[in-house]
Amino acid sequence: MKIVATVKLVPDANAPRRIDPQSKRLARSGDTVINPFDEYAIEAALQLKGRLAAAGESSTVTIFTMYPERGKEVVRKALAMGADHAVMLSDAALEGSDVWATAYAIAQGLKKIGFDLIVTGGLADDGNTGGVPCAIAEHLGVPSLTNVRKVESATEGKIRAQRETDSGYQVVSGPLPVLISVTMAVGEPRYASLKGIMGAKKKPIDLLTLADLQLPTAVGTDGAKTHVFEVGAPKGREKARVIEAADGATGARAIFEFLREKKLI
Amino acid sequence: MRHVIAFAEHKSGHTRKVTYELASEAARLAPSLGGKAHAIAVGPGASTLAEQLRNYALETIQVNDDADVDRYLIDPMVDYLEVVARSIGPSVILLPNTMLGRDLAGSISARLGAGLTSDVIEFRMNDGALECVAPKLGGTAVTGCGFKNAEYGVVTVRPNAFSAEQGAGAAQVVTIEKPAGKTYALTIEQEVEEASGELGLEEAPVVVSGGRGLGGPEPFETLLRPLAEALGGAVGASRAAADAGWVPYSLQIGQTGKIVSPPLYIAVGISGAIQHKVGMQSAGTIVAINRDSGVPIAEFADLLVVGDLFAIVPELTGLVAGAKAHA
Repeated sequence: MKIVATVKLVPDANAPRRIDPQSKRLARSGDTVINPFDEYAIEAALQLKGRLAAAGESSTVTIFTMYPERGKEVVRKALAMGADHAVMLSDAALEGSDVWATAYAIAQGLKKIGFDLIVTGGLADDGNTGGVPCAIAEHLGVPSLTNVRKVESATEGKIRAQRETDSGYQVVSGPLPVLISVTMAVGEPRYASLKGIMGAKKKPIDLLTLADLQLPTAVGTDGAKTHVFEVGAPKGREKARVIEAADGATGARAIFEFLREKKLI
Repeated sequence: MRHVIAFAEHKSGHTRKVTYELASEAARLAPSLGGKAHAIAVGPGASTLAEQLRNYALETIQVNDDADVDRYLIDPMVDYLEVVARSIGPSVILLPNTMLGRDLAGSISARLGAGLTSDVIEFRMNDGALECVAPKLGGTAVTGCGFKNAEYGVVTVRPNAFSAEQGAGAAQVVTIEKPAGKTYALTIEQEVEEASGELGLEEAPVVVSGGRGLGGPEPFETLLRPLAEALGGAVGASRAAADAGWVPYSLQIGQTGKIVSPPLYIAVGISGAIQHKVGMQSAGTIVAINRDSGVPIAEFADLLVVGDLFAIVPELTGLVAGAKAHA
């Protein structure tokens, strides 16, 4: 079975982030990391591979990302976690892609490399759109099974999984191929072992360009269906009014009066 | 794009406030685009919900009570939405920024070849063109975004950002014809309610969140839930609490969890590290209860009460419940 984990490379959230006032796009300076949500996708893919292996079924885990070639060393971290192989869709003409163009380009790349199961994270840490996984599935014409907390089984052309809902979970089943997005409940992403790190150096990272895909439609800025024309700072918050409460009644009364004053009760 | 279509998310006809916010905003926007406002509700109970939506200034409410919507994952909904969008013509589709709304937005935008802007908190008209205002990067920036003259535009709207106002409604309730020849792949075999009657965290008007200071899972049930219920809100948590296994990850608010902006946010025993801050800093009013006055949340909360949360919360619940009883 061919499992593909799609990951996004994002600026490290612990480093200061900003949107470039000229290009109106995220200034990707500083450290680049794998989108924290997507690390769970890699973890879920590797768990599945492990379970399949225990049942005597062979599978491969491919990392797929759309990012300039300079992100290669970041991708290698995913290989060090245990993925077999990586493909980077890298092309200057992809710059400025919005949700539509990004999902479209990624879908065409995935079509090119082939898959039985696509695993993604739920959200991106930077853009926070959340619409990309389902948009990729729609472009590929495969169903999307989002917010998966546990893959119960994925074998013999079928998948069965638990997905989170607002009030609990659902058990969903259907045929492969399918795209799933996973939540943090799949389990903490594993650390790369020393052996994994050494082994990752020899694992292949293939580059795919737009010339390889021969798309009939423009992507990047020209293909985008939306444009960002303005970036500003949000209105800041002030420091809190601080009240020391000697006992429960005093503290509760202070909050209650405050909520009354703000007309929240 | 001229018309506005509001998607009504519901379960067996029961919906939440965000549906009315979307319907109201659709009614407000449509005249400035030179079009009409419509709503769509599908699945069992849709017709019941349509009666509620008739209190809003909509042209049509398009429904189908098709049981397939509850039987299969989102595909039937996407199909119905496509049918309605194509029959109404160039339009902006408003969806709630919820788990379901985000999925639908991705699918329908790809299907219609439409642009997608997410988590919108304000709309503006500029020379006849629609502009969407949305916070990005965990609220550290605010962007203005527009559609490049595409026929359709898809927008997810942040719950609690727009007001719900009833209007002179004489909306016609129209049954959507079921798309023919479709088969659906993903079957919902089982639906398990773990927190029945739980208000969606992202849509709740009040969120009472707990963190490390609670010390274990029990206080979420014995302290926070009664307060949340008294205030008509929902319970949330910090990452520390979810990582410790005290609450499910579905309650986590912050960078790797949910982003909420309720009119009132009460943070109990939460220090307010950046990880948590990005998930709640756009709340209307933030009240924090902590035993330490030096916590980061002091920098951006409106009120910080320094004291023993185990003593304060039950007293506060009593005061709130008492006030409600006399109201």
